[in-house]
Amino acid sequence: MAETFETLQATAQAREDTLNSGLRIRVGVALCGEAAGAFEVLEALNAEVASRGLAASVQEVGCIGLCYAEPLVDIQLPNGSRVFYRNVTTEDLPAILDAVSSANFRPTDKILGTLGDAGVAGLPKIEDTPQWKYQIRIATRNTGTVDPGEIQEYIVAGGYTGLAKALASMTQEELIEEVKTSGLRGRGGAAFPTGVKWGFLQGSKRPNKYVLVNCEEGDPGAYNDKGLVESDPHTVVEGTIIAGFATGSNYGYIFIRHGHVGPIRRAQGAIKQAYEMGLLGQNILGSGYNFDMEVALTGDSYVAGEETALMEAIEGKRSMPRARPPFPAQSGVWANPSNINNVKTVSYVPEIVRRGGEWFSEIGYERSKGTAVLCLSGDVNYPGMYEVPFGLTLGQVVNEIAGGTASGKDVKLLQTGGPLGGVLGSDSLEIMLDYEGMSAAGAILGSGGIIVGADDICVVDLARTLVAFCQFESCGKCFPCRLGMTHLVEMLERIAANNGRPGDLDLMRSTGKTMAMGSLCGHGQLGFNPISSALKFFEEDFHVHLEEGRCPTGSCNGAFHRPTRTRPLATAEWYAKEEYAAP
Amino acid sequence: MTEPLKLSIDGVEITAKPGQTVLQAAIDNNVYIPYLCYWPGMKPYGSCRMCAVEVEGGRGTPASCTLPVADGMVVTTASPVVSDLRHGILELLLSEHPHGCLTCHRVELCGPQDICLRHVSVVDRCVVCPKNERCELKDTVRYVNMSMESPLTYNYRNLQVETGDPFYDRDYNLCIVCARCVRVCEEIRGDDAVTMIERSGTVLVGTSHGSSLLESGCEFCGACIDVCPVGALTERDHKWDKAVKTVKTTCPHCSVGCQVNLEVDSRGSAIRSIGDWDSPVSNGQLCYMGKFGNEFVNRPDRIRMPLVRQHGELVESSWEDALSIIASRLSDYKGDAFSLLVSPRSTNEQAYLAGKFARSVMGTNNVDIALDHRLELIEPLGRRLGNMAATGTVSEIEDAGCVLVVNSNVTEEHNVAAVPIKKGHKKGSKLIIIDTREVELTRYADLWLRPFPGTENALIGGMLKVIVDEGLQDTDFIAAQSDGIEFLTSSLSTYELDTVASTTGVPADKIASAARFFAASSSSAVVYALDNISADDRTPLTESLIDLALVTGNVGKPSSGLFPLRPGANSQGALDVGCSPHYLPGQVSVENAPGLTGPESLEAMADGSVKAVMVIGDSPLFTQEAVHAFSHTEFLVVQDLFMNELAQSADVVLPMTSFAEDEGTVTNIDRWVQLRRAAIEAPGEARPSTYTFAELARRMGATDFSDGEPLALLGEIARAVPTYAAINHDALESGSVQLPWNQPARLPFAALASLAPRIAGDESFPFLFAPGRVLAMPGEDIEIIRSNGKNTIRREDALEMHPEDAISLGVAPGEIIEVATHTHRIRGMARTTGILRGVVSATVLFGELATALDASGDYDPMLKVPGLHIMPVRVEKVPS
Repeated sequence: MAETFETLQATAQAREDTLNSGLRIRVGVALCGEAAGAFEVLEALNAEVASRGLAASVQEVGCIGLCYAEPLVDIQLPNGSRVFYRNVTTEDLPAILDAVSSANFRPTDKILGTLGDAGVAGLPKIEDTPQWKYQIRIATRNTGTVDPGEIQEYIVAGGYTGLAKALASMTQEELIEEVKTSGLRGRGGAAFPTGVKWGFLQGSKRPNKYVLVNCEEGDPGAYNDKGLVESDPHTVVEGTIIAGFATGSNYGYIFIRHGHVGPIRRAQGAIKQAYEMGLLGQNILGSGYNFDMEVALTGDSYVAGEETALMEAIEGKRSMPRARPPFPAQSGVWANPSNINNVKTVSYVPEIVRRGGEWFSEIGYERSKGTAVLCLSGDVNYPGMYEVPFGLTLGQVVNEIAGGTASGKDVKLLQTGGPLGGVLGSDSLEIMLDYEGMSAAGAILGSGGIIVGADDICVVDLARTLVAFCQFESCGKCFPCRLGMTHLVEMLERIAANNGRPGDLDLMRSTGKTMAMGSLCGHGQLGFNPISSALKFFEEDFHVHLEEGRCPTGSCNGAFHRPTRTRPLATAEWYAKEEYAAP
Repeated sequence: MTEPLKLSIDGVEITAKPGQTVLQAAIDNNVYIPYLCYWPGMKPYGSCRMCAVEVEGGRGTPASCTLPVADGMVVTTASPVVSDLRHGILELLLSEHPHGCLTCHRVELCGPQDICLRHVSVVDRCVVCPKNERCELKDTVRYVNMSMESPLTYNYRNLQVETGDPFYDRDYNLCIVCARCVRVCEEIRGDDAVTMIERSGTVLVGTSHGSSLLESGCEFCGACIDVCPVGALTERDHKWDKAVKTVKTTCPHCSVGCQVNLEVDSRGSAIRSIGDWDSPVSNGQLCYMGKFGNEFVNRPDRIRMPLVRQHGELVESSWEDALSIIASRLSDYKGDAFSLLVSPRSTNEQAYLAGKFARSVMGTNNVDIALDHRLELIEPLGRRLGNMAATGTVSEIEDAGCVLVVNSNVTEEHNVAAVPIKKGHKKGSKLIIIDTREVELTRYADLWLRPFPGTENALIGGMLKVIVDEGLQDTDFIAAQSDGIEFLTSSLSTYELDTVASTTGVPADKIASAARFFAASSSSAVVYALDNISADDRTPLTESLIDLALVTGNVGKPSSGLFPLRPGANSQGALDVGCSPHYLPGQVSVENAPGLTGPESLEAMADGSVKAVMVIGDSPLFTQEAVHAFSHTEFLVVQDLFMNELAQSADVVLPMTSFAEDEGTVTNIDRWVQLRRAAIEAPGEARPSTYTFAELARRMGATDFSDGEPLALLGEIARAVPTYAAINHDALESGSVQLPWNQPARLPFAALASLAPRIAGDESFPFLFAPGRVLAMPGEDIEIIRSNGKNTIRREDALEMHPEDAISLGVAPGEIIEVATHTHRIRGMARTTGILRGVVSATVLFGELATALDASGDYDPMLKVPGLHIMPVRVEKVPS
């Protein structure tokens, strides 16, 4: 390490100042943007800028969260104001560049609004929209703004100052105390206090300890882990290093499902850059602390996101959950003490260290401190990734941020926390968005996905879709889950096809009870949730099927396709590609 | 020692060891908790959830197999909640497991042929399941008291029964996916031949990529069958037979001495062999021979009556007459005109009495085990370390930091000794193989050194040179416990690593890394059989290996030492009790006039100096030349199990008991003394050789012979052999007993033999052929052909040669070449990837090459499988 952190910051700031003095154009090319055609727009934009000889720097960025407006093109004027064009196609580009060249932005459908204090006269401010005004962006503070492939921009945004502070002036105990003060709880679903969890690993005196970051994220309707890693990988890297330092471990893994190409590419790039800057490896920032880190991939398995299954996968085994005890802090990866955190959890850590646990604990509601990174989708007007403080109501989230149903029909149900989370009825819109409130209502916040369904959905249809997913993704290890899921799908299929038998509801309940009590991991223990919650709020839909022999909404009538493999299995050639190889 | 913990299970106060799980504690205290996936001896897995319990103050219903005991714990095993849960799980399980009879009140009454009044289809009936009444699922169903009606839909998997593999059938319709087979293969055997395939409702056991077991690395040890709780995995022989009793005895096939539970049916046949999980020697493991190779004891063509030659024909006789004839004829051949050759499978008692009979009745030292039992592997150990036996314990190899395997095909010839080697390697120990041939263990090797045949000793010299030059030796051990290091170091002064490298064909850096691995680890073990080393060269090579162990301080400490893998199930015991021309009981040297060894006896028969011979057992193992030598004898007695060429030419043939009918003791490779127990009745008049010797001795006037009763003989052995002093039947009844390892205070070093020249072919056979055999070769085109109920594999056999040799012969890769020996020819596709000039090697599975080797008659004498003998050959290109 030749340079001090201050020199790194100065270099990065100088680069930023140069860029800011001119015109900056950012294009969101995360998964949501890519799906909407952002790469085509980016290519055409580059060509157009070049052909016009426009003095502008065009950059790839991640997802700012407003996924409904992708592809987003963000024009940053030298005065700092940013103008966002929404749903841009290649045909829109000449007009956009004309406006940019003439500095004459007239409100059109294509302009989403502006960000930044100065704003642009005549254009709406995004800050005033419900999609933005509720947000407090901590974990997502940089997404859509910094270039995820450029560590300098992250440093300018305050990145790695938390790490530098921790290494220079804090002990392991102080760090853990800071995280405890912040009240940060695990964002992967279980909401366990992060500082306490770190304390377990820190307390272990064994030599080789591991910190793992879980970006398996297989929940349908959840894309915040992928979004964070893809849009701001350095915050994950920095958080992991801090977690490593706090717990006294020297190895870290970011574990990503093999199909998440963008996040893998960004995470590997970020790790490589951090090594080059001396922020990873031996003697980080001259502190004497060593930390090595790599990206680990797995095959196509939802259960691989379960912490012990994930460890099996890292060891190169079939990803099936282990029996606990021993817990990961005693015996994790290769029987070494390990700590595993969700991507979102570690993303908060740099800011908590930088600004103090006290600051973080003032945000949020009662025992749910800080913010929740929500993924809103389903029948809504504004699907996207929004970071909001705990304490809003689900109604505010659904009706204001998500803008109500896209179909215009009444909200019938919310499906939260992934397929195992179950459904909530429309009366749940009164519920407070926090861990305790959600669990009191019989649902879980889980990974933060909220799927909204209007009243044209039959709950039997929804339940069979969710349970079929859970059944397909059961690893097959423990008997209750392997067999129970299979029977539940079968029963739901026949109820949906109006062939249900009298007693099927009871049979589902008893099977679900066996699974909940008997299963080895959360997948089976929670696997009955979609049905139990459906029965709790919408038992009527089942009775219509069973007793009247018809679907209450007609949504069960079409052909039902059970899930099959969504993408080909990774091959040796795939892993051999240089960009996916471990650094 | 930590204090035992106290807990209560169902109100019963029990104690448990810290670190145990609740289920283990319950099993130890005879409290029944049902389980299907747990197996004592393997790590808890927690998949079946049948062993759920409730703990006072605890949450939910944890699986007791993964729940650690805690002091003061109050456990309930059958509360209504737990019973409901078990009931629910079993109901789910039975929805895919054929169970027509499981819950029927007639289950005890029906036989396989009965018509089912409930019209249960055949595939759903327990009474036609091969594991009926041995089924753990059935036991559990009975315990849980299942009712017959289940509202769940029953889904029969309707898969074809897999019969494509040599020894056992796999009916995955019956599989409950407990993964015991997968775990035993991975965790206990270190093989990973089977794995879980698919997932969720369709999860099952299979091989990765769906290959056959032959390709997937299966050793056919049968461990998976032994642990299968249901009828999914079954031995093909006696598949449906029911056992009426089980007898624990010692496997007769090799010197590892695995404990085997022989199951016997109501007709007195030994129908199944199952590993004994309580054994400290084999830990429940067997190999393809011990598991599937014991059917011979039931064969109807066993010799049942004594046969005596009358007018040139062998005719049935009585023991009385046969013994009288033998006694009277043998009286004429007292002294060195008589020779006694004894089966290496004989018990200690039989071997002891053979030695005593030869010496005290016949007045000769001509008594030996009837094969090349490689005494050279242990004689130097006796001279220098005080004992002719392995210095350590085989099962401890698992914890060695480094294992060096020298010219040994461990997986095939001493299979269960390979288990701790593989397990250790999985745990991180370094595995170094020295062998020109490819053997199964080379798949796992960290370093595989392939020396030119005959230069193995130079290679060990090279390793010693590196150790001494780099100062890697254990100086404390050398100073405190050894003498004469200077002999070694001065003899090493003539060694140059580069010369060693060019002589052996092994790169210098590989030799150096091997030396460093071996010297640097906390404990290192040497496993050596010295296959393909001539009898003369085995002694110097063993001496070098002793030097290697001494210089690194690897004698006498746990998980280290020298492990000579000698052929013959009881070669060790036979030597200990004096069934040897050179040694009296207690490994005491015969001072004057040592007798003739087995091979020497054969020569003496040919030249006429030995005129009368008794052969006890295993006579089919003699080669054609040996059988011819016997024809010169004047009087030949054979006591054996089966008629064969040698027995046909004998003057008197006596029926012998097999291992399954013998009583007595045997001693294995690492000095464990274990019991042979009679499991079945001997056929006809078959009797043990102790009876023969005792009766002959009585008839020939000897007075100090008991009636050959094994217990009395064991007492005699205990008095005659100091290391056996503590051995008695009662001690052995309660388990295997390991003989002490007494080593002298100071152990001598020896000078290293000078660099030996390479073995060279001659003009007509200029190449050396190094056959190798691994149990699997993935990624090859393999076709399994079934005919007459047998499976053979056809695949493209490849012969590997050095590229320069290929150029000089004008052979291009992919062309067909032929390798010719004195006696036979084999063909294969040329591959020019060899690393030794002048050596052609092949790795055969069970393909055409194997068939050709089989036809060559080049059998390993003990194993009756084609041996892997290096031989001089000629290589020819086959015109296309």
